[in-house]
Amino acid sequence: MTKNPLMRRFIWTHLILSLGYVASVALASWFIPDDAEPSLTVIIFAAFPGVMVVGWIWNMGRLYLTMEDEFLRMLEVRKAMWATAIALGICGGWGLIELFASVPRLPVFFVVPIWCLGLIAGHLINRFTHGTGGGSLW
Amino acid sequence: MKNRLKVLRAERDWSQADLAERLGVSRQSVNAIEKGRYDPSLPLAFSIAEVFDLAIEEIFSRD
Repeated sequence: MTKNPLMRRFIWTHLILSLGYVASVALASWFIPDDAEPSLTVIIFAAFPGVMVVGWIWNMGRLYLTMEDEFLRMLEVRKAMWATAIALGICGGWGLIELFASVPRLPVFFVVPIWCLGLIAGHLINRFTHGTGGGSLW
Repeated sequence: MKNRLKVLRAERDWSQADLAERLGVSRQSVNAIEKGRYDPSLPLAFSIAEVFDLAIEEIFSRD
């Protein structure tokens, strides 16, 4: 794993939050029956993954604020910008198609997974344009 | 922006990792600056100038 202590803290926090996200999505899928009424219990279960996502963004913001290497910080910001552009572009575009054409619905749930895939795309774009993807994981 | 980082580094027989350690940045940063993929901020440019004991304009120049 990377020797940079800030990056290591970021990665561990991110992994823990990611596990929390997956676990809370699994729990919600298990506990909430199909076509359930939007009761308080359902809303609380559904809110947990959202809290984990807020944690991801907080963790990324903390990394940006504490990173002293300006080049690596720029790469991290670029990664997040690409992820946001890809996620909003796909969801916004598909949402518009949904309004006017009969196409399969894209559940809002998939915004987060698409954004995560966008981070990987941002990493690859950084490698192509700047020779390195950013903070290395291992 | 062009720079003479690679030449100056070679004159002192420093590796990219050596220079990165002196500057307190990553080796990737030094590599990106050398290859012209990244223009450093003014504080980092001053640090580079200090490490080489030169003026900024002796290291960096406009394209």
